[in-house]
Amino acid sequence: MHARPASNIHARWLRRARPSLGTLVDIGADDADGAGAAAAIGAAFDRIAAVEARLSRFDPGSEIGRFNAAPAGARIAVDATTRSVLDAACALHEASDGLFDISLGSGARAWRCDAAGLHKLGADVRLDLGGIGKGFAVDAAVEALRARGIASGWVNAGGDLRVFGALTLPIDLRDEASGGVRRFATLGDGAFATSRLALGTARDRARPGHASVAAPRCLWADALTKIVIASGDAAHPLLARFGACAWLH
Amino acid sequence: MRLTLVGALTAAATAAPAAAFAVDYLSAEQAAQLIFPDADHFAPRDLNLDAAQLQAFAAQGVKARSARWTVRVAERGGQPLGYVVSDEVLGKFELISYAVGLGLDGAVKQVEILSYRESHGGEVRLPAWRRQFIGKTVASPLRVGDDIANISGATLSCTHLAEGVRRIVAVVDLAKKNGSLG
Repeated sequence: MHARPASNIHARWLRRARPSLGTLVDIGADDADGAGAAAAIGAAFDRIAAVEARLSRFDPGSEIGRFNAAPAGARIAVDATTRSVLDAACALHEASDGLFDISLGSGARAWRCDAAGLHKLGADVRLDLGGIGKGFAVDAAVEALRARGIASGWVNAGGDLRVFGALTLPIDLRDEASGGVRRFATLGDGAFATSRLALGTARDRARPGHASVAAPRCLWADALTKIVIASGDAAHPLLARFGACAWLH
Repeated sequence: MRLTLVGALTAAATAAPAAAFAVDYLSAEQAAQLIFPDADHFAPRDLNLDAAQLQAFAAQGVKARSARWTVRVAERGGQPLGYVVSDEVLGKFELISYAVGLGLDGAVKQVEILSYRESHGGEVRLPAWRRQFIGKTVASPLRVGDDIANISGATLSCTHLAEGVRRIVAVVDLAKKNGSLG
């Protein structure tokens, strides 16, 4: 038996990055006991690619792409992955009194998802999971790592990130105006996401330009940034329900 | 969830200078081996695009950027398996180097990020800032890469990286057609 020097962090964390989800996805896995971290990270990237192939509105062959192109009255068969994201989106829509909305066009009542599939009720409705899909993909990648026996690690999709296991990860916030990063927090066993306020509102320099949310799961962190932005309220009552906290900055 | 705030988001805190950020993931050689694990040899082939070829790229909407390229041919027992090309792109504040693996048909097989460097200002556009990283690999990491911090922010888009991958696809396609990879 031999002890590893605690400072030799490169020896313990295997870290890889690939372009995915329209951004850079960085994955780290505990490789302390040679636990097959490389294969686990490969599986996590594959899982993200599979989620993106189902949910991306930019891919006409995805379930969401096919829904958007379909006529009113169409029913699109969706798998359990898509169903769970749509169910979460519906729950957030109701809980936020409509502040969170994945539908573009004719609005939130023009689609429905049930055991039979995804129903298109109005011709103009389009779905965009951009406000929740990235967080969901991060959670799915974390599950893929755990399923391969990785005890601790992280997945960061361009700032929507989750850390799991014993690791406490330093979180730096990017300075969006002039570049560089500033240490903001340390996070263990949880998720953190940042979103920008819509163009137009950010021009008002007196108002904050970004919302960040910490939550137990990345899907909630990602989606709740949109609720904080839409409400302008970093103490929105929904945050507490999901065990989350938020900052406008 | 274990969250401890160590910074503040007050005006005073954000007026303080921001730090640079860098991660080294893989060397170009490690990436080539990761993308083609069965390869026993990578044969470098140098490619010099002439003016007409650069113009043809521009006509396809591809910014060739450089006339000189090196394509590594992944081989096993002397038989080609595919190609690996590495390159780097500039974002608003970041410099990203990456490697693209392509199959023998020229289709993208895998993209691996080699390193990520975020400047703390506009230096990313300064050749002197970029030059300091030439020759840096995983074997000689920078001090800033020693901690495992992660960045959260809203702006990182990989549009320029997607453009870079398209450029490499076009370069390999050309090299295949003119016999440079034989």
